[in-house]
Amino acid sequence: MELTRRELLVLGGAAGAATLLGGPAHAQKRGGDVIVGTISAPPTTDAQTTTAEVSRNISLHWIETLYARDEQGNPIPDLAQKHDVSPDGKTYTFTLRQGVKFHNGQEMTGQDIKASMERYAKVGGSAPIMKPVDSITVPSKYVVRVQLKNPVPGFIDMISSPRAPMGIMPASEGEKDRGKISHIGTGPYQFVEFKPDSHVLLKRFDGYTPNANYTKRDGFSGRKTAYFETVTFRQFPEGGARTAALETGEIHAVDMLPPPAADRLKNNRNVKIHPVMPWAFQTIMINAGWGPTANVKVRQAIQAIIDCEEIMAIASEGLYRLTHGWQHPGTTYFAGDVGKESYNQKNIAKGKQLLQEAGYKGEEIIFLTDSNYKNHQETGVVASEQLKKVGLNVRLNVVDWPTAFQGRLKPEGWNLWALGFGIEPYEGPYTVTTFFTTENNGKGVQLMADPELNQANAALDGSLKLEDRVKAFAQFQKRFFEYVPAIKVGDLGRYQATRANVAGYAPGRIPRMWDVWFE
Amino acid sequence: MARYLLYRLLTAIPILLVVSLVSFLLIFLVPGDPAAEIAGPGATAEEVARIRQSLGLDQHIGAQMLAYYGRLLHGDLGQSILLNRSVMTAILDRASVTLSLTGLALAVSLSLAVVLGVVAAVKQNTWVDQSAMTVALLGLSLPDFWAGLVMIYLFAVLLGWFPTGGYVALSKGVLPWLTSLIMPAVALGMAQLGLLARITRATMLEVLRQDYVRTARAKGVPEHRVIDKHALTNTLIPVVTVMGLIVGILLGGAVVVEQVFSLPGVGRLIIGAIQRRDYPVIQGGLLLTATISVFVNIAVDVLYAWIDPRVRYE
Repeated sequence: MELTRRELLVLGGAAGAATLLGGPAHAQKRGGDVIVGTISAPPTTDAQTTTAEVSRNISLHWIETLYARDEQGNPIPDLAQKHDVSPDGKTYTFTLRQGVKFHNGQEMTGQDIKASMERYAKVGGSAPIMKPVDSITVPSKYVVRVQLKNPVPGFIDMISSPRAPMGIMPASEGEKDRGKISHIGTGPYQFVEFKPDSHVLLKRFDGYTPNANYTKRDGFSGRKTAYFETVTFRQFPEGGARTAALETGEIHAVDMLPPPAADRLKNNRNVKIHPVMPWAFQTIMINAGWGPTANVKVRQAIQAIIDCEEIMAIASEGLYRLTHGWQHPGTTYFAGDVGKESYNQKNIAKGKQLLQEAGYKGEEIIFLTDSNYKNHQETGVVASEQLKKVGLNVRLNVVDWPTAFQGRLKPEGWNLWALGFGIEPYEGPYTVTTFFTTENNGKGVQLMADPELNQANAALDGSLKLEDRVKAFAQFQKRFFEYVPAIKVGDLGRYQATRANVAGYAPGRIPRMWDVWFE
Repeated sequence: MARYLLYRLLTAIPILLVVSLVSFLLIFLVPGDPAAEIAGPGATAEEVARIRQSLGLDQHIGAQMLAYYGRLLHGDLGQSILLNRSVMTAILDRASVTLSLTGLALAVSLSLAVVLGVVAAVKQNTWVDQSAMTVALLGLSLPDFWAGLVMIYLFAVLLGWFPTGGYVALSKGVLPWLTSLIMPAVALGMAQLGLLARITRATMLEVLRQDYVRTARAKGVPEHRVIDKHALTNTLIPVVTVMGLIVGILLGGAVVVEQVFSLPGVGRLIIGAIQRRDYPVIQGGLLLTATISVFVNIAVDVLYAWIDPRVRYE
């Protein structure tokens, strides 16, 4: 159809206006070698076997999972096309995407899923999630059937968690021991080398099969595109050196920038700061099985006394928010204002009253914390000073992380323990409730089982109806603030940062290098 | 000399045996274990226990000690729990980095220290002497990690002359290798520069007062020949004596400097192993450090005898 002169003029004017108003186009560019500065070396690059953050930051670039979490943290299909659940909740049938290639060129089939899941049950970092699994069968090439011994409403939540990802690898990897894998996955990047104390190197997988069910990146799933030739995760244990490397352009991104450095660099044109809020909970775990804190009134007194804002301001170096809930606001299981009246009370009088009712006579309270994580140590220091001011006999015990972690497993020798609770709340309610119910042979991290918490956890795990499970978690949270197995101090944030020429970066639980490119 | 050497080598054996025993037992006295590190900070108690069992860490200490000495007798330092490779491989992979760093630090500190010390002695009580000794004092006083961070900021961030960290292997070129190591080497060698400069100055002052030096001057020997040919050799004797200690100190100091400059050396390997309770690496690292110290001190004694013909070992 020929256009008239008038139509041409109108169209030309519209195009000109669009160009002026729309600004420059951001065309993605392939190429370049991006370097991400990390705080430490991964304890292992065997993705399935560890819950260490630095390991999954790397491995989630070369492995993928059946289901993964979207930008809001909800499970969505990734390597699976979809799943069906039988009415009794015990049979999960996964239909796989077809034509997905591993890094060795092999096509992914049901046998690979079966082998990967069975391996996870043996060596997985969260292997207990596979305990309810009775059998895994492959009725056809692209279908996998998982038979559970009993209904597990949170099964998809668990297998989609990035905490210790159930990465899918070829069936030939299934029998391999911890740490002995060949690093073959389906991700947009493939593993090249791990040089301990130096770096991990990945390169773009040109045979990557993007997920056509999506139009763009979505959390750990969606449609992923790798633009960089290589991604190097370089270790910079010293925070100042890591920040300096970002400033000079030796590295292009950091997964953690200390808040004072973020403040200093906020006006630096060469650096972009990306805040992530929330990142973790700052908590104080309480030993409900030994010493003064075995008395619920003492625990309630501590909850009443502490000033959460003072602790968070110092422990987080200014990047925090005060929220009481044990799930993040805006997520499915967020329990609204349940328990809010017991949070951040700063009520010294009430605390003293409760201590009197408890018959507290100045017995020693040991606050265990570690020097490896600044937020842990600062929480311990500030909280113990607050409690001492009110007359509690608190002794602060600062050790290194492995010692603190081992110490908290012992029934005696600690009453309070500072812990940053990171990926667990993000995963959903199940890991949170497990910490206080089934962990430690049923005694929970607080080393004393509470029947009401266990009941709420059972209801959370037992019902196939979402609304029942949401109610169960609300009940759990209500009981939590009464029984006080732990105190939630607040939400910690984190700063990630990139060079200004790194385009497309979206802050998240890991420094994602897909759908990111150099401008 | 041969008998002396044999004697020193034989006495090294019980020393190393004691070190191996102490390092083995020390680890079991310190709380924490590698299973927690593998599992990650958010791991449950059950997850950690499972990993402990799979690693054989729940075995009796006696059984573990037997296995340890059995391996040692075959020259096997064991398998790193976390790195999934032999301890010997893990150490050898990193040895070149630490040896390069330590060697360069020693070369920088020794060469500068001798120059500073000699100049300070020759120009005693002048502004040259004061300046040289101020530099020495600064070197002794400033912590190496602080100096390292300041150098990173000045020379890497502001001036862009050097990288902020990381190691470039010698195989990639001498200049890139040197560029990656010069700042860490200076940071590491500063304290020893101070110490050696002061020792050199004090010894040189003593030597310059000797009769044979006075005689050389009286004979009309040019001053620079008096210093170079007659005084310097004798000045170096105490310097060589402390070298054995200096090497040990540098190896220890390398641990901190490697962290600051992100150098993948043996120091970082051992620090990481301690933090994560990677027992075989800690044991292997301690044994290696002790072995190096013992043999360096033997070498220093031999060198001492070579420099000073008056020294004879029976």
